[in-house]
Amino acid sequence: MKTILAALALTTALTLPCVALARPVTLTTTLKDFGGGGAYLAIYVTDAKGAYAGTLWMAGGKARYYEHLADWYRATGGNTAEINGITGASVGSGRTLEISLDLADALFDAGYTVHVDAAVEDMRDSPNDIAVPLTTAGAGKSFPGRRYVASLAYGL
Amino acid sequence: MKKTFAILLASTALAFGAGIPAWSAMHGAGLSTVGTDRDGLVRLADDDDHGDDDRGRSVRNGDDGDHHGDDDDDDDGREDDHGNGGSVIVNPAPAEAVAPPANGLFGSGAGPTVKVN
Repeated sequence: MKTILAALALTTALTLPCVALARPVTLTTTLKDFGGGGAYLAIYVTDAKGAYAGTLWMAGGKARYYEHLADWYRATGGNTAEINGITGASVGSGRTLEISLDLADALFDAGYTVHVDAAVEDMRDSPNDIAVPLTTAGAGKSFPGRRYVASLAYGL
Repeated sequence: MKKTFAILLASTALAFGAGIPAWSAMHGAGLSTVGTDRDGLVRLADDDDHGDDDRGRSVRNGDDGDHHGDDDDDDDGREDDHGNGGSVIVNPAPAEAVAPPANGLFGSGAGPTVKVN
C-alpha cells in the first residue's frame, strides 16, 4: 500500500507541471461600425524579436483575399496550412468576436505580442490594426485599434 | 523491491507520456517557416457565408487599386486565380474539421472555440 501511494505521489508530482503549461484565455475583438461587409481578420502572434510565431484564428475563409491581410500574408507567404482548423467566417461591422482557447503559458510575460490584421470589402486594408503585448498585467484591459478594430482584450 | 521498481517505472513512463506531447508542442515547434508549398492541403467546401455578406466580394485597396475580376463564390474549396497565371488557390480547412496547426501556441493541442455576438 505504501509503495502504491509513493508511486502515485511521484506520478502526480511529475504530471502537475505539464498541466500548468497552458491557461484558458478568452480573446475578445470588437469591431467598429464601419458600415461595410464582413471583415477578414488575421489574429496571430509574434515573438520578442518581432518574428512570426503562429496564428490563433483567421476570420474569413477565402484564401484569395488573404493578401489584403498584408502583414500576416508577408509573414506566412499566404500558406493556408498555418490556419487549417482555425478558420471561420468573417466578422460583421459592429460585431464582437470571442475566441476561447488554451494558450501556452510561455507566451505570457515573454515579449510575445498578439496582432490583428483587418481588411474589409471595398475599403482600405488595415494591416496591424492592433498589436497587444501578452502579459499577465494586461489581462482584462481593453486596447483600442486603429481602423476597424474598436478594442481588443484578453481575459485569463 | 523488484515490484516497487516496476511500479515506479510504470508511473514515470505514464507521466512522461502525458507530458512530452504538451512540452514538445510548446518548445519544439518554435517559429513556423514560411513556405509556399500547398501540396497535401485539405480541400473542403467554403462555408464563409454564415450571416456575413461575403457574396461577390471584391476586396479593393484604395492604395494599389487591386481588382479581382472573378467574384464568383466557389464552394468546393478550390479557386482559380486568373490573375496569377491560372494557379489554384486552396482555401483552409474550417475549424473543427481538422486539428489546429502544431505551432506551439495552443497549450493543450485543442483548437479555439469561437462566438460572434
